[in-house]
Amino acid sequence: MKMGKMLSALVAISLLAVPAIADTLKVGVQAPITGSYANEGQGIENSVLLLAEQINAKGGVMGKQIEVITCDDQGTAMAAAICAKNLVNKGVSMVIGSYTSTCAQAAQKTYFKAGVLQTSDGTADDLTEHGYWTFFRNSFPNSAEADFAADYMVNVKKYQRIVVISDFSSYADGLGNAVEAAVKKLGGNVVSRDKIKADSQNFTPILTNIKSKKPDAIFFAGYYTDGGQLRAQQVALAIKADFIGGDANDNPDFAKLAGSAAKGAFIINVPTPEMLPYDVAKTFLADYKAKFGALPPSIWTIMNADGMRVIIHAMEQTKSFDTRKVADYLMNMKEPLPGITGPLQFAKDGNRIGSSYMTFEIQADGSYKVVHKQ
Amino acid sequence: MDIFLQQLVNGLTIGSMFALVALGYTMVYGVMRLINFAHGDMVAASAFVGLTIYTQVMGQATSLIAVIAIFLLAAVSMAVVGVILERVAYRPLREAPRLSAVVSALGASLVIQNGIMLIWGPQMRIFPELVPQVYWDLGGVVISLIQVIILALSLVLMIALYLFVEKTRMGAAIRASSIDQDAARLMGINVNSVIALIFIIGSSLGAVGGLFIGLYYRGITFNMGWQYGLYAFIAAIIGGIGNIPGAMLGGMLLGLFNAFIAGYVSSTWADAFTFILLIVILIVRPTGILGERVAEKV
Repeated sequence: MKMGKMLSALVAISLLAVPAIADTLKVGVQAPITGSYANEGQGIENSVLLLAEQINAKGGVMGKQIEVITCDDQGTAMAAAICAKNLVNKGVSMVIGSYTSTCAQAAQKTYFKAGVLQTSDGTADDLTEHGYWTFFRNSFPNSAEADFAADYMVNVKKYQRIVVISDFSSYADGLGNAVEAAVKKLGGNVVSRDKIKADSQNFTPILTNIKSKKPDAIFFAGYYTDGGQLRAQQVALAIKADFIGGDANDNPDFAKLAGSAAKGAFIINVPTPEMLPYDVAKTFLADYKAKFGALPPSIWTIMNADGMRVIIHAMEQTKSFDTRKVADYLMNMKEPLPGITGPLQFAKDGNRIGSSYMTFEIQADGSYKVVHKQ
Repeated sequence: MDIFLQQLVNGLTIGSMFALVALGYTMVYGVMRLINFAHGDMVAASAFVGLTIYTQVMGQATSLIAVIAIFLLAAVSMAVVGVILERVAYRPLREAPRLSAVVSALGASLVIQNGIMLIWGPQMRIFPELVPQVYWDLGGVVISLIQVIILALSLVLMIALYLFVEKTRMGAAIRASSIDQDAARLMGINVNSVIALIFIIGSSLGAVGGLFIGLYYRGITFNMGWQYGLYAFIAAIIGGIGNIPGAMLGGMLLGLFNAFIAGYVSSTWADAFTFILLIVILIVRPTGILGERVAEKV
């Protein structure tokens, strides 16, 4: 009975919206609007709303106005699976999101079966390993960070003796292993692969052992709370190696913990929104701030905005709303689309080509200076 | 050899922090036969109090005088907290079965730990860099200014405490109370003042230990007292609980043991080996290394 009521309510609502139905391009947003990642989810929704408004003001996509339909996946896999069904039923032709890899993964198959295009910033490598032609990653996978870090250490800085340290968490251990493998692939020399216990504070014994291996670089794949202390204790032991921290070291507390030892440490991460050098980025950020009163919460928000832009670009290029044709175009783009977060182009498996990882050097005042990018 | 000497320096540094904290456990146990489980959390609280004194009272001054003032103010504050703790949590239970006092100690530990969290928040706080990062390379062995300060100040405090307990009238009163409280009372010793005194001394030494942790590691968390308290407690047992030189020795030995295990075996296994050491000591020499005197009188 209840179902019947809901259905008739739905029908009534869709009837109300009837005049638009035939002429709109439905864009779904699947994002954590509530929950721990609410900030990020709302950023994604805001970005999509802003883009839709701008495109509609210019006459829409080949004459069709964009209609945004948002579904809150709360950052949980269960809600994400329900969202996927909902959005498909509402007839969206593309979905932007979600924020977390877990939620993107839970919804992937439903979109694939319905032939709905999906673009997410999830960084877990396996998102693109299912062979779903509908999925396009608008960020860069974890392995891209490892490849960038290895290239920086082996080819740019030409370190001869590299030490890789991580803690035991799956993220840090995974990144540490990936970096070790990537360094070896480039012919680099990993003299030691060590693990620390997170929050144990006293890293001097393990650093003393590392010192005897005479490293010229220490890559740390763990989190900033340990990274800052590790760096301070490294300097106090007079280990003359460069310190390179993975993306989880990118936090103002890293420099505070390391104190004067922070200067000269390197951190690898994607740029923050305000660092983006592109004109498209400057315009978008200014518009976003004008509409919502603040800058986007993170780079991930605008990675998703780029995902939407590139799909619409593909529709316009192919002059088609057929998702299959659009996907084929995306996988075979000759020229990258200048994106907010850099050039947009995809591999056959839906992975974004290139990476926007950068190396920052921490200055004496704790600020970052970009020293290397791809 | 370089590695060995370097691990020796590392071990002595953390060992002297353990020893300072262990003294608080052992002194209270010596007189009251009570494990003051709240002591570790007092150590953590001291680091946070020191942080607040630095930001609020000292106006973020980093001069030598400011640093000394932070140590003195934090030690005095923690001494006051220690005395209050004894009055509220332990004195009403002095005649009660020993288990009641232990449960009260555990409760006090939770109150202090959660109090720190409520006042200063659950996230890691950063201690200011009050000691410049200066170090000397002595032919492969590096020793930093902060390590020198920790070692020297700990040594001075421990020698001063030893002389105080062994050579002064108040020290004699403490020793007498630890042997037999009733007999001490008959000799005209005010045991209540003695207990207040050991809480003052133990808490201030713990406060110095807490500030060392803040200065050395820089990151302080509300629940770190549990970890350091546990280590210091083990150190006190290894040295012979109730025995003051034993706590100093136990702290140093535990620090060295930890550094060498972490350095030569595995840093992940250092904790496990620490507990294995504790079990071995308890089996082979239950009274601890210097604990004979305590065993005789029980």
